Amino acid sequence: MKKYLAVALGILTAIGGFVDIGDLVTNAQVGARFGLSLAWAVAAGVLGICVFAEMSGRVAAVSGRATFDLVRERLGPRLGLLNLVSSMLITFLTFVAEIGGVALSLQLVASVHLLLIVPLVGLLVWLLLWRAKFSAIENVLGLLGLALVVFAVGLWQLGPDWGALAHQAAVADKPADEDWRTFAYYAVALFGAAMTPYEVFFFSSGGVEERWTTEDIATMRANVFVGFPLGGLLSLAIAGSAWAVLGPLEITVDSLGQVGLPVAAALGKVGLAVAILGFVAATFGAACETGLSVGYSIAQYFGAQWGKYVRPSEATVFHAILLLATLAATAFLMTAVDPIMVTEVSVVFSAVALPLTYFPILVVANDPDYMGEHVNGRLANGLGSVYLVVIGVAAVAAIPLMIWTRMGQ
Amino acid sequence: MTSRRDEPRENRLERPIDGALHLLDRQLIDCEGALLGKVDDVELTQVGDDLAITAVLTGPAALLSRLGGRLGDELVAKWAQLKVSEPHRTRPWRIDMEDVERLDSALHLSVRRDGVLRRDREGHRLGRLTGMDVLGPDGERIGRVLDARFEPGAEGSLVLCSLIVGHGRPGSLLGYDRRSDQGPWLVRTVVRRLHRHTVIVAAETAEISWADSTVRLAERPSEAPSHPFG
Repeated sequence: MKKYLAVALGILTAIGGFVDIGDLVTNAQVGARFGLSLAWAVAAGVLGICVFAEMSGRVAAVSGRATFDLVRERLGPRLGLLNLVSSMLITFLTFVAEIGGVALSLQLVASVHLLLIVPLVGLLVWLLLWRAKFSAIENVLGLLGLALVVFAVGLWQLGPDWGALAHQAAVADKPADEDWRTFAYYAVALFGAAMTPYEVFFFSSGGVEERWTTEDIATMRANVFVGFPLGGLLSLAIAGSAWAVLGPLEITVDSLGQVGLPVAAALGKVGLAVAILGFVAATFGAACETGLSVGYSIAQYFGAQWGKYVRPSEATVFHAILLLATLAATAFLMTAVDPIMVTEVSVVFSAVALPLTYFPILVVANDPDYMGEHVNGRLANGLGSVYLVVIGVAAVAAIPLMIWTRMGQ
Repeated sequence: MTSRRDEPRENRLERPIDGALHLLDRQLIDCEGALLGKVDDVELTQVGDDLAITAVLTGPAALLSRLGGRLGDELVAKWAQLKVSEPHRTRPWRIDMEDVERLDSALHLSVRRDGVLRRDREGHRLGRLTGMDVLGPDGERIGRVLDARFEPGAEGSLVLCSLIVGHGRPGSLLGYDRRSDQGPWLVRTVVRRLHRHTVIVAAETAEISWADSTVRLAERPSEAPSHPFG
């Protein structure tokens, strides 16, 4: 019984933890303009994160090594350092976006100026990273993130033309007034938002934190293969409800309030309140995950003690990095930069950085020296190879598309 | 704190290993499971006729010089300048092989991490050996040292048995040039094609000149390197 509870808890936190500020904003933007005609990009991204999260989780369970250990061992110190610098710049950007997302969500309630909320959020995030238990961060915020299910309820209440939505999703039927270039740009953005590299940094390091062994592989797989796709469905619900409410009005989403608008239209104040709770939990959870990912990865490259499973006094370098990263992210937001814009940039640059993270994982998941009998099977390798090509294409296309479409204008 | 994983694993130090592939850049873990750094380099010492692994090196002085070439040397010099009053700052911290217990996906020490690092001597480094130019019997350039294979010697220490020589193309650290059964097909095919000229030479036929940073071979090698665990 206890085991089933643990599996259920894992799945629920995986659903609640799947959506972050990048998914919220990108899916609402895409939904309002393209409806569900880009649902295939979300599906491709979700399958991709499932494939590579499972590999990185399996490597962590079998060998006890997290992602940046592998990056350095397989790429060497020089390429590994380049990889570290670029991956951490992007993860840091995502961290900034998540903290900004928490502040924007709180602003929807408090209506005070964003710059008054940001330092408070930064302080709270750091306190949580410093004091809270790993399992508490993961479970509480993951479960609260489930409040975003309100988007699925809202979509159902709005009663859209389901046949038309399904048709749109099935044949990638782009609205006639949109350009193919912006269509491709948002496909890459959605793909990047679903496959953000920090997710595997956090997932594999979390596996080491929780001391997974080979016996935990089945539970880990259940979390990944059930939780992530259900989280992906939440993303689609956000896009679908945005299409139903914002699409006919030709509203383009450039604030978090507009992301929540369809829920308010469908379910009124209570619905909006639940949605805002979901925003806060999802972005706060992701802020902790990205912040930890920065600390994990840098410490793993240099071999310093990391992890929430030891006291902060035993992992001083790790906690110093967490403090500095939170300070820097807060300072960045205090320049009055628009968090929504930071989010948009971070998902596109995530797409650029995908091969840096996923290639070493694919190689090590095949290496019998690390994995013994748990090396990749044919399915994992088939999908992994296909995705290696796909993420290569997305990485190369992302920046040219961003410039060519002026960020999807 | 207890040991992270209870199941015992195979100790790689009792079998032949490839230094760059299996030892360099691995995590260092002490006897209580605490992390204390990476294997930033490996110390090699001439013991009789053999070149033996005598210590693992860790810390910035070892890591920075492995970032390669002029950049590496400059960074080490800068590292020394940060505190000129400190003696032997460019000398890396070392952990004697006597304090090393076993090697699996990490290198485990038999002692606690507190105060285990020493800076008492300086030897040759594996990170210098890899990357050296390899010359044939007539002085023609054959390639570069990609990796060095060590096997357990007489007194329990690991001694150099052969060198793996190739063209220095990317991907040698992925291991595909040394075993043909590692997937996925796509990556294996590309990397093995890049490394189709990679060969292995016995240490007895190679004369290592640390001063010139070159290795001279007595005969032209042709044997492809197979994996010691393959």
